[in-house]
Amino acid sequence: MAHLVSVWEGTFVEDAEGGRLLGNKCTSCGHIYFPKARFCFNCFDKSMEEVVLSRLGKLYSFTIGRMASTHFQPPYAVGLVDLPEGVRVFAPLKMTEDKPFKVGMDMEVVIEELWQENDKQVIGYKFKPV
Amino acid sequence: MREVAVIGVGQSAFGKFPWRTAGDLGSEAASAALSDAGISPKDIQVAYAARSCDASCTAQGVLKEVGISGLEMVNVENACAGGSTAFRGVWKEIADGHYDVGIAVGVESMTTSPIAGKLIPPEKDDLDGHLGMTMPGMFAMVARRQMEEHGATVEDFAMVSVKNHHHGCLNPKAQYRKEFTVEEVLNSRMICDPVTLLMCCPNTDGAAAAILCSMDVARKHTTKPIRVIASTLLSAGYKYLQEDICASPVGTKAAKIAYEMAGCDPKDIDLVELHDAFANEEILRYEDLLLCKRGEGVELLRSGATKIGGRIPVNPSGGLLSLGHPLSASGVRTVCEIVLHLRDQAGERQTLNAKVGLAQMLGGIVAGLEHGVVAGIHILAR
Repeated sequence: MAHLVSVWEGTFVEDAEGGRLLGNKCTSCGHIYFPKARFCFNCFDKSMEEVVLSRLGKLYSFTIGRMASTHFQPPYAVGLVDLPEGVRVFAPLKMTEDKPFKVGMDMEVVIEELWQENDKQVIGYKFKPV
Repeated sequence: MREVAVIGVGQSAFGKFPWRTAGDLGSEAASAALSDAGISPKDIQVAYAARSCDASCTAQGVLKEVGISGLEMVNVENACAGGSTAFRGVWKEIADGHYDVGIAVGVESMTTSPIAGKLIPPEKDDLDGHLGMTMPGMFAMVARRQMEEHGATVEDFAMVSVKNHHHGCLNPKAQYRKEFTVEEVLNSRMICDPVTLLMCCPNTDGAAAAILCSMDVARKHTTKPIRVIASTLLSAGYKYLQEDICASPVGTKAAKIAYEMAGCDPKDIDLVELHDAFANEEILRYEDLLLCKRGEGVELLRSGATKIGGRIPVNPSGGLLSLGHPLSASGVRTVCEIVLHLRDQAGERQTLNAKVGLAQMLGGIVAGLEHGVVAGIHILAR
């Protein structure tokens, strides 16, 4: 039986609504990072606290891949989503039947399988149109 | 700091040659550069070589084939700017007075590399790479923003490919010497929407080499040395500093430093060779290099100014789009192209009365940093 592994430890959490991304915030200057930064690259302060980022964001740009990438067979969608915290996230996008991607549209986080390899099921974050 | 000249340039054939080794390709270019300079292998005092894929002792492996051994050799990897890095390495050695004569080589065998025929991904442990990031994917997302913000159309992107393929037809060294129409570019296979196959540079094997030396040495070999009047190499800042993915902060910063060092303005540049790995990218690089204002790259393209015969020809060689893009070779190859124009030796694609030319490379992708993580610029003058 396949065992679950996270695509990147500490980048997301599942909840009743689907999931959220986990970033961190510099307690000194307030800059927010995703994925988490070891320390603040902005002011070099070392005191960082975890932040649960917003579930909703806006699509900044996207593309539909027509040739395979490292783990995805075509067609697959990827994009950049701007979260209200001022963070731009690169992520796979989930294609839906009725909502074609459009710059500026509202997107939400979903947590699901990204790909399988050997006996591993790799879980991670995607965004899908709201 | 001493003034440095380029006295020899050489390029191998560019194409798909899986049967040719990096040593074979690199030595073809190095040997051509030595002949062009009219110097002996034993005159070379220092060497830098760039290679991205499967690299191991590239300089030593290439240069032993042309009779160069037993001296200081440095191997570099710096994504698409690897060749610029090698060229700059030799320039620094000579400018700083460590040596008087050196060779820079860039070589790549893309068809035998692990990324042959694939979309170029980031480094294998990169988070975004796992999530589906690829070079064409990134530039497709950039293209969509250009369409949103700058009024660019897919026809504009296709026009860059049409222009550079036309230029490539005039270059005997180009991988693809074939004219295409806007319709053919748009109707070619979709790679990452809206970027089509003919908007992407091909997989290419090839090498380029340049011989640099101090002015004293140069004057013994030629009455017309080509001077290196600016050399810059910079790495990118964190991603959060790149609010607009259509702008390259590191590319612009490198350009400003280069113009200041050269003591010239963008309007003084007679021709440019730049990183057109994707057709839409060329339009943005006009802006980074301050050839026009931010957001006006599309207008500059449409005006025809960047064609051969225009006010500021860009990629008269055919660019990466038609000449081909052996990753680490291109940074040296672009400098070689500028040198040929400044010497009035560029044949049918010659930029008339060229006095100053600029060679730029920008490349690499790393999660968390602005995309295009390294920029290299050289300005040369006759």
